[in-house]
Amino acid sequence: MLTIVRFLWASFAIWTAYALHPSEAGVVDWHKALLGVPLTRPDFHRTTGAHGATRSVVLTATSNNVIGAVHPENGTVAWRYLFEDRDPVVGYKAYNDRLATLSGPGGATFRILDVNSGHLLHELHLHSADSGRLFEPVNLGVAIAFDDSDKSKDTFVLTNGHTLRRINGKSGDIVWGWTSPDQTSLVVYSKVVTTSDAIYLIGLAKSFASYTVHVSAISPDNGELLSDADVPSSIINGPQGLIVVSHEGTRGKSVRLAWLEQARIHSVALTPQLKDKPTIKKGSAYLQVHDIGLQEKGLFVATKEDGSGRVIRFSEDGALKVFWEFADSVKSPKYTESTYAGGLDKDGWPYIARVYWSHVFRQASAHVLAPHLAEGKGLVTGFTFPFETQKHGIIANLWQQDQHQWTREESLADIRVAEMVELPEPQLVASQVGIEETESFGARLRRQLADAQDFPQYAINFAKRFATGSYASASSSIAPASNDTSPLSRDTFGFRKIIVAATSHGKVFGIDSANGEIIWSRVFGLGWAAEVGGRIFPLKIFTTRTVSDGDTPQVVIVGQRKADNSLVDTVAFHIDALTGEDVSGTSIGQDILQGQDVIAGALVEAYLFQDGPTKYVVLLDEYLQVHLFPDTPENADSFHKVAPSIHLPLRTGTAGSHRLGGHKVSPEKEFTGRHIAYPIWTASLPPNEDVRSIVTRPHEPVASLGKVLGNRTTLYKYLNPGVVVVLTSTSTPSGPATSCGVYVIDGTKGTILYHANLPAAGGVCDVKAAFTENWLVYHYYDDGSANADQAKSYRMVSLEFYEGSGVDDKTSSSDLSAYSNDTTRISVYEQSYVFPRGISTITTTSTKFGITVKDILVAGNNHQVQSFPRRFLDPRRPNRKPTAEEQEEWLIQYDPLLPDDPKRVLSHRYQVARIRKIITSPALLESTSLVFGYGVDLFFTRVAPSKTFDVLNENFNKAQLVLTVAGLALAIVITKPMVRRKRLRERWYAS
Amino acid sequence: MMIPLLILTLVSLLCSSLAFDLKGRVVWNEICPGIGDLGQAKVVLDNGNLYGSVTRNGQFVIPEVPSGTYILSVVAHDHAFERLRIDVLDTDTLPEVRPYVPGTPLSPPSPVTLPYPITLIPRARYDYYTPQESFNLVGMFQNPMMLLMLGTGVLMLAMPYIMKNMDPEVLQEFKERQAKITDIQSSIQNGDLKTGLSAMMGGEEKTSPAPAPKPQASAARNRGKNKRR
Repeated sequence: MLTIVRFLWASFAIWTAYALHPSEAGVVDWHKALLGVPLTRPDFHRTTGAHGATRSVVLTATSNNVIGAVHPENGTVAWRYLFEDRDPVVGYKAYNDRLATLSGPGGATFRILDVNSGHLLHELHLHSADSGRLFEPVNLGVAIAFDDSDKSKDTFVLTNGHTLRRINGKSGDIVWGWTSPDQTSLVVYSKVVTTSDAIYLIGLAKSFASYTVHVSAISPDNGELLSDADVPSSIINGPQGLIVVSHEGTRGKSVRLAWLEQARIHSVALTPQLKDKPTIKKGSAYLQVHDIGLQEKGLFVATKEDGSGRVIRFSEDGALKVFWEFADSVKSPKYTESTYAGGLDKDGWPYIARVYWSHVFRQASAHVLAPHLAEGKGLVTGFTFPFETQKHGIIANLWQQDQHQWTREESLADIRVAEMVELPEPQLVASQVGIEETESFGARLRRQLADAQDFPQYAINFAKRFATGSYASASSSIAPASNDTSPLSRDTFGFRKIIVAATSHGKVFGIDSANGEIIWSRVFGLGWAAEVGGRIFPLKIFTTRTVSDGDTPQVVIVGQRKADNSLVDTVAFHIDALTGEDVSGTSIGQDILQGQDVIAGALVEAYLFQDGPTKYVVLLDEYLQVHLFPDTPENADSFHKVAPSIHLPLRTGTAGSHRLGGHKVSPEKEFTGRHIAYPIWTASLPPNEDVRSIVTRPHEPVASLGKVLGNRTTLYKYLNPGVVVVLTSTSTPSGPATSCGVYVIDGTKGTILYHANLPAAGGVCDVKAAFTENWLVYHYYDDGSANADQAKSYRMVSLEFYEGSGVDDKTSSSDLSAYSNDTTRISVYEQSYVFPRGISTITTTSTKFGITVKDILVAGNNHQVQSFPRRFLDPRRPNRKPTAEEQEEWLIQYDPLLPDDPKRVLSHRYQVARIRKIITSPALLESTSLVFGYGVDLFFTRVAPSKTFDVLNENFNKAQLVLTVAGLALAIVITKPMVRRKRLRERWYAS
Repeated sequence: MMIPLLILTLVSLLCSSLAFDLKGRVVWNEICPGIGDLGQAKVVLDNGNLYGSVTRNGQFVIPEVPSGTYILSVVAHDHAFERLRIDVLDTDTLPEVRPYVPGTPLSPPSPVTLPYPITLIPRARYDYYTPQESFNLVGMFQNPMMLLMLGTGVLMLAMPYIMKNMDPEVLQEFKERQAKITDIQSSIQNGDLKTGLSAMMGGEEKTSPAPAPKPQASAARNRGKNKRR
């Protein structure tokens, strides 16, 4: 009785909140905090603490608009600061314990961060984003310099190319500001140099065919202009060629400005009066000067025309002298061109490293010059290290001598497409499947005998499992042991999958969903474009073969290759998902994964077609010609058969004026040898309405075709397979969006089934929608402009589509002919809710058979992934107290506010930064859905929207069950003799 | 030399008359003792087009806010803050700060006004976890279901001895009552509620104060016992 009651309770508990237990955190989920691909050379920064102990961090600004600090000893993230998308980092500089950053157009916002903790100390808005001047590159016209003359911690900030401000280090206020009086002139400052006497602003003035150096000296105390001078010069290649070297001499700091002009190094001393005349360094002709970050130590590198590198030092007497010439650095077919880098050690001594790749030894070599050793003459130590070019596309690597310290795969912060692929069962990997038919009787006997050897082990295991009750649990870790060498296989419940993710940095990864480890990675080959260079942008990923098809799973990645000569091609990569091997065979024996050029031009849309067991990708080019991949005769035949019944809603047109049109595929091949899609309808939208995106239903099983209500009537779900959701924005020509639209359109004939007009808050349409079965959920910001009384808030609208005009009206929409009038006979239930926050993406959970209730998963702007139960989003929630019938359906009274339950935050304490997309995939357990979110960070977890009803709960009290049964048995043992005695007595004394 | 400075001041003056820099601070309390606990957080107006970051001493500035009505909220990872309604006015007066309950209409505004500069107090720390239920012997026996079962078991075992030690008269009375209860129960089981109720009423009148009818299971057990006797 007790157990029955317990089960009843358990079933009631389905409706109580699902939440994570503290012990499950980090076991069922994982999170990889990333920074992004570094934009700048990472800087080592060392700070000295109060007790003389030094701490160091590696600072970098990345393409994901993050400034991050990494611990140099182990490569973990010390801290990171995420900048908004419209506030791009344009410059940063670390000095002692603080890091100053400039972000936004022209350096609109200035921030000071603590270099060790990443805490924001001050934030100062310098000018509005609209008045910011845009330069190319973005870091031109902004500069940061710290006042190192005293301990005031003041900062000098150059913004917009002509404004210099002194900012108080303690309060974060502006001490003074100086703006170039002649803003219209062509002088754009790009460097700030501080001395105790003057602040030098160095810029370039545009003159005919070249630039002239312009220097202004400003008083550090009150911001007055001391002097202003044009230095006679002509520089061709912009401000990169300007180098300021300084030297801390006995007479204070002396500064010299050097640049390359007509293959000679010119230089001029900087004094407050700016009276010095430029001098030309005689001797060799130079090709390039390299800033190696050691200007403060008076060192830079110049390469001669023959490629040999020279270290040039600003010596005590104020002249530039060649200090060292790297041996063997002359251009040679044996080596690549050298790169140079500088750094300081713990005691502040400078080092200069030269790194090159030797084609002969297939190794990278580094020569490190220590200028202070060997009595000031310099000493070079060299070592080599292997560097796997075929694997490392873009990396942040740290090497100490020839010991590899760590690698961070930062390109994972830029995943474009990802897919979860099922793993094969363990037995399938081990045994030879598919040879049973061919093997002889003797061979089979031998094999089965060999298999039988394992039986005792199996029997022991079975008995042990039965006795101890240690079954696989739905909330246990599925990660393999670190020393596990067995081949990839799935776990009991199918929680372990392989995530195939392609990045825009030309790399594809196979990630173990159990723990986030990278199993394999491949670099995309550029095909013919390898000679001119180019990039590959992955657009779509399809699983063309799954484990259930009987072999290793395969995926196809469709990407767009933009060659540097502006040619665009569509390339398809066919990969074995378990190993990353190329399936198509084009890159066998090569290091780099080669794709197949499918379309010589851009891609319009790609679909996965399934015809029985065969799956192939159908691609449409700009002329709407149909291409197949893999292009085999069988696939062509299969497509030819189904071609007449295909309807495709397509988004075509150019940016800002995308149109929506329905297309059919010609039943016969055209003269080009290809099927062609031809338009049959166009959506009748206003001409200024731009189709932003099409949201389609995922291919998932639908468990029930209808919903039985409390009064035993049925609402039949509208499951027309051609229905698509279209998100649009209406804008005035070249202006911001005025309104946004959500349409539900029958994709086969273009009938609009539902339309909503939404406000465009801030002139931007940012509607996010998720569509599954007959349920559509969309999210937008309502700025209250439609109605003065209306509240400003994020809204989530939930819609359900049912067949016919009401209950028990069945039109069989899922298999109705596209031309039937019944396809438009639908009833819509709609309800709007106030949502707690802005989101970056929205999706639904997906399970194997679709029986489990679907939850809505969102990535919020506070770096969380949160689930919202369907029960709260049900559009049929009554506006009054629910009746008994409604209560039977578990409907609750409508409340405009969606509860923001922290217990439903899947990412719990993880800061999951800027999730761009969440993908869900079913596990073998019907109750559980796997969730993978990617953006800057990667996050993986599993959810059970109706709780894990198909496995015993982890909380299930096995001990209590055993104790209860044992107690009952004990009671029987005690009462049995008692009853027997009583019976006996009754017989003796029977009346 | 002073011209550039003058221009700068003029420009900044111009800016301040067009738009307002909204200032405020987050008050550290025991829920959120400092920036290390709060993490990177920002204070946003409406949907985040205008925002300011929270610095180490809790201060924030939202620059260049044009006049209008805004909802101020804090985007923080682990902490809940209240929402405020901010009215930035065209005139030179300070902005009006009012409490705001999400989902309520903006007009009429709340009569309560809060002081400017804005002070934001961390209200709660999100608790993401539910504690794990662990096996607990005492807890198991504290379960009412369990207590009821144990009680029934004890009563079942002790009944013969109680009956034995009872006064014959009381025993007789008890047996009568038992029979009545059995009658009621059988009538309820047969669906004859009326008879059951009338029997119950009658019984109560006769043997008041009568105990409430026992749960079916225990009564059934007692019945069995009586038969055996």
